[in-house]
Amino acid sequence: MTTVKTRRTLAKAGVLTGLVLGGLFAGLPVLWMLSTSFKSNGEVFRNPPKLITESFSLDAYREILGNGAQLRFFLNSYIVAGAVTVLTLLVAVLAGYAFSRFNFPLQRTINAVIVSVQAVPPITLVIPYFGLVVALGLYNTYPGLILTHMVFTLPYAIIMTTAYLNTLPRELDESVKVDGGNSWTALWRILVPISVPGLIAVGVYTFMISWNEYLFALTLTRTDDMRTVPIGIQLLMGQHSYEWNQMMAMSILGSVPVLVLFLLFQRRFIGGLTAGAVKA
Amino acid sequence: MALRTTGLKRILAAATVALLAACGSGGSGGTSSDGTVTLEFAQWWGAELPAGDFDKIISDFTAQNPTIKVKLLSAPYASTKQQLVTGAASKTLPDVVGLDGAWVSDFAKQGAIADLSKLMTEAGYNPGELASQVQIGGKTYMIPVVNFVYPLFVNKDLLAKAGVKDVPATRTQFLDAAKKISAAGGDVKGWALPLDTAVPNGVQNDVMSWLWASGGSMLQDGKPNLTSAPVKSTVEYVKSLNDAGVIAPGSLTMKEQDKVEKFTTGQVGMVIDSLAHINLIKKNNPKLDFTVAALPAEDGFTGKRGIPYASWGIGVSNSTEHKAEAFKLVQYLMSKATNAQLSTIANGFPGNKTAEPDFSKSDPLFKAAFDIYQQGYPANEFVGLPKSEDLMRSFDEQLQLVLTGKATVDDALAKSQESWASVIE
Amino acid sequence: MTSLMASKTAAPVEQPPPPRRTMARRLVPYGYLSPTIVLIVVLMVIPIVMVISYSFRDNVIVQENSVFAGLANYTKVLTDPDFLAALQNTAVFISVSTVAHLLLGLAFAMMLNTQLLSGVTKAVFRIVYILPWLFTIAVIAVIWRLLLDPAGVVNYVLHTLGLIQEGVNWLGDPGKALWVVTFINIWSGYPFFMISLLAGLQGIPADLYEAAAVDGANPLRRFLHVTLPQLRPVILSMAVLDLIWTSQQFALIWMTTGGGPLNTTEMLSTYTYKQAFSEYEFATASAAAVIVLLLTMILAFFYVRQQRER
Repeated sequence: MTTVKTRRTLAKAGVLTGLVLGGLFAGLPVLWMLSTSFKSNGEVFRNPPKLITESFSLDAYREILGNGAQLRFFLNSYIVAGAVTVLTLLVAVLAGYAFSRFNFPLQRTINAVIVSVQAVPPITLVIPYFGLVVALGLYNTYPGLILTHMVFTLPYAIIMTTAYLNTLPRELDESVKVDGGNSWTALWRILVPISVPGLIAVGVYTFMISWNEYLFALTLTRTDDMRTVPIGIQLLMGQHSYEWNQMMAMSILGSVPVLVLFLLFQRRFIGGLTAGAVKA
Repeated sequence: MALRTTGLKRILAAATVALLAACGSGGSGGTSSDGTVTLEFAQWWGAELPAGDFDKIISDFTAQNPTIKVKLLSAPYASTKQQLVTGAASKTLPDVVGLDGAWVSDFAKQGAIADLSKLMTEAGYNPGELASQVQIGGKTYMIPVVNFVYPLFVNKDLLAKAGVKDVPATRTQFLDAAKKISAAGGDVKGWALPLDTAVPNGVQNDVMSWLWASGGSMLQDGKPNLTSAPVKSTVEYVKSLNDAGVIAPGSLTMKEQDKVEKFTTGQVGMVIDSLAHINLIKKNNPKLDFTVAALPAEDGFTGKRGIPYASWGIGVSNSTEHKAEAFKLVQYLMSKATNAQLSTIANGFPGNKTAEPDFSKSDPLFKAAFDIYQQGYPANEFVGLPKSEDLMRSFDEQLQLVLTGKATVDDALAKSQESWASVIE
Repeated sequence: MTSLMASKTAAPVEQPPPPRRTMARRLVPYGYLSPTIVLIVVLMVIPIVMVISYSFRDNVIVQENSVFAGLANYTKVLTDPDFLAALQNTAVFISVSTVAHLLLGLAFAMMLNTQLLSGVTKAVFRIVYILPWLFTIAVIAVIWRLLLDPAGVVNYVLHTLGLIQEGVNWLGDPGKALWVVTFINIWSGYPFFMISLLAGLQGIPADLYEAAAVDGANPLRRFLHVTLPQLRPVILSMAVLDLIWTSQQFALIWMTTGGGPLNTTEMLSTYTYKQAFSEYEFATASAAAVIVLLLTMILAFFYVRQQRER
């Protein structure tokens, strides 16, 4: 019995050590970002480097939060990323269902096309895409940006929803159909609720891709009232020098919504919802 | 489950509302019903100036021209050129655009920017006051508004610590000073050479500047002449600095911003840098004791020294419907008083040669730099060349091969000459 | 929810006559796909077709008079040593990144899924582990440049720990740059795998593990015979996605090394960018883009084929 207990303690210690080492790997650069946001610009490159410097201050945060234009960037990012997440999830669930549960002509071709469209280097796509958006009258509008981000996140979302739905056995669908339901009810009554952890993962990632996207957000917006946070951050990278502390402050502030989203939904990641439920 | 679907429907409804509410926002330049013209002016200058100053200059323009409103658009500097190319391709370029001299040739070829000579004639404007104009095929496409020169910055403390009495004035003296500074210890180096290939300005500011400072040229009759003796001696000199170990590490991927930071924090003793950084350096390290000087020339050279420069240039979109009004804005920014004011707050030299920047409130170093500027001549042969960034990059790549010992100077110059000849026809 | 057992043991019922809506039936999957198809056709296929057409022309975009050029652009690209170098670097970059992402993501996901530690501990570490994900790539590039500067923090720490004698030139050394850039990409991208695998791990029913344990399988065998097979669809999908996305990675390379030093970090993305916005050769850039598209379609094809084998 002692051996079992010691083995358990050793295992626990092992996992904890692993977690701590991994945590250092993941967290140190972010810690440095935080530390830089509190420094004055002259101290950023100081040698030898220090974590906390003499002129520690919250000025950078004050400047960002007091700047109307920057706050507008945050608002725009929220609106765009939020809409993109909801709409993409919706469309992707429908598409994933089609790929997972049906056999139809052109299925493989359509699937391959969806996966491949994200392969075109965005930089070559920018100019014709931009022309198209202008022609559609979507230049410098929310819908223009939202639809664009949807197109970028859909391939990923569809691949993942297909994968998650594929892990669910067909008997689940049958159980609904026996009760008189059709494919629509099978999807929304059974499959979606079970796939919630997977869908949340997809949703969080979609939100992040949209939130952090820069190239098309820059190209498709013209005025400050439409621009998003990544553009706001790059605006601080001037011709002659960078506003390091503000850049870092804005990045930290920009990461907060995603972090909050993650915190809110992470309980769903933890087991219980699917383990053992319904499956034979 | 039914609840979940309802919740989903609610979110969907909210998203749709957001979409619809946001439809069609964001305006663009145009003429409104009362005849006011709104010009869009895309530039990165406002961000580099003290807060609100540029807005004030623009609102003064509107006060003088009540029928013209100006909307300032800003974009991250690093993406400016790419955005301009994209905008030009779909004819949505803002009416007035801030330009860098290195882009002019390609934009003119693309038909993106308007012929300013024609606009000047139409407006009856006399270009005599302009210090310079950037022309392609005899037509002006860009007017430099403010010029930023790149003199040599010297850290006086490090110089003194190394036992060097005078600021170096010849190449030999510079090499000597750099060696002594690097030998003084503490991870300090004599010089920094930013050769990042993403933005290869280092070739212009930190390499070719040596050539121009000794009156040399990289062109002959407008054609590349890289295998000539002056160019060769310049590259060999840079190589000698590298071999002596006086260049700060990380050179091959160092950006201009890094070079400035290293000088500011006292890690490098001497750099060729933009005057525009003086206030920045003083702000970030008030204790730094430094001065500016002319770039050292070849030993025994007594002629006028070329001093490299970069400008804030201005051009007019070729697809705008308000060319006349746009040119009025250009005229305003080039007018004696405004140009002087803009140059003063930007810490640059005016594009209007009759304008006198007000040095009374600025750092005495500016006056010193202005004297150097007037004793020499502004030199930047890349302005007006086609695909100048590409030219700098191919030269940079060859130079990197030389510095890492993978190619001889002659081979590198021959290859660069070949690349350049295929671009400059 | 009906019990499956009940439905299975019920007496067979007379089959009702099949509904006469066979045509409509066949269109159902297309109905589910319609929003996707509309969006992707309008917003992606049209510009992609334009890019493909550019690749067969010359004097594109920056000049008014474009002419048909046949395969000239493709020849130019495929014989360009810079392109071939970029291809090689990209291949190394994406394969090493994806494998490392997978291993790291799996390791972290399993650690975070452990029963040995309290929920609070796991929650805290979960947050720490997704941190790299939260930041835009420009900031990640910039902060790593700062950390890896020869006079920066990383060298300082290594020097203090006695691991190095003098400052290492991480990003500026032609021999190291590619690996360093790959490392940064691994750092910024592993949370994707980790979170997806964590969600996947939740979906594995506990009884499968119990059954394996009853059969006498130790933790390693349980991992190999229960966990991995269950996660296989998710792993394969993510690997394909990661390979594709990493090959598009532009900002990270551009803002750290710009393709240098000495072209050691030149990727297909930076090559294409330089063609487009520095040489103003949009036709060549489009040709390079089409080549990348074709290579990716091979990957996509394999992905789709393994989807069928279920």
